[in-house]
Amino acid sequence: MQTTDPLSTTFAALADPTRRAILSRLADGEATVNELSSPFDVSLQAISRHLKVLERAGLITRRRDAQFRPCRFEAEPLDHAVEWIDRHRQVWGERFDQLEAHLVELQRRAPRPDGRAPGAAADPSLDPSVDPSVDPPTDRTTHKEQPS
Amino acid sequence: MTDIHPNLGELTYVRTWDAPRELVFACMTTAEHLTHFWGPTGVSTPIGNITIDLRPGGVFETIMVNDADGTEFASRGVYVEIDPPEKLVWTEQDVEGGMTTSITFKDLGDGRCETTTHQTNVPEMFRSPDVQAGMQSSFEKMAAYMATI
Repeated sequence: MQTTDPLSTTFAALADPTRRAILSRLADGEATVNELSSPFDVSLQAISRHLKVLERAGLITRRRDAQFRPCRFEAEPLDHAVEWIDRHRQVWGERFDQLEAHLVELQRRAPRPDGRAPGAAADPSLDPSVDPSVDPPTDRTTHKEQPS
Repeated sequence: MTDIHPNLGELTYVRTWDAPRELVFACMTTAEHLTHFWGPTGVSTPIGNITIDLRPGGVFETIMVNDADGTEFASRGVYVEIDPPEKLVWTEQDVEGGMTTSITFKDLGDGRCETTTHQTNVPEMFRSPDVQAGMQSSFEKMAAYMATI
């Protein structure tokens, strides 16, 4: 499904390095198309196309009243994008940190018998890699408790 | 380590686990495991709040509970693809456009595995009307993210 929600538009606009550089310049203050094009080795037309993308995404506005229609950086769409990323990064980061701790706990309770990095679940029913129909190798140890 | 790559409204999280992928896959698809880690800090997911019907078209629902005030966050997903222990895909139709989360589990061959969590369809529901402040700081944060691409 093609999405046209504002955040998708924001991310698409930010996906281009020239457009990010233009935004970076505008974060310091308003600028005209000519002023924006000078640091780049691209045509005015190319800069104008980038500006149209940024304008559609709401990341810049262009004053209609002034002769050279200076561009102004608008922070709101970026705030939404950053907030969304922050929230998801935080949720998945914390979730995965806790999964990491959970995995450590699972494997601490059931060290792998081959002496390499531990890798088996404490409860075989929770570990799909353990097939109860297969006899364990003869050198497999079965101790489960840590020495105290 | 978790990497975030914003790209056309998609997010990717890559993480390496010191555990075999069968176990990590089991953790992501078993209520007994999920209850230990699904809620982020300060949020719990009681095992009774997790519904898993592990088949394409089956339900994957969680109701997370804020430890401080009891606020509940329901996530209603439907499994799209289940290929143990390699791939897991679900969608959340309540989220505008249907947000899809896919996790691929790669066996690193040394008892470790790597997961790549990929989310598509950045939803409008995550927009907040009261976010206005901090233009420069927002831009710097975004630039920092971009620099990591």
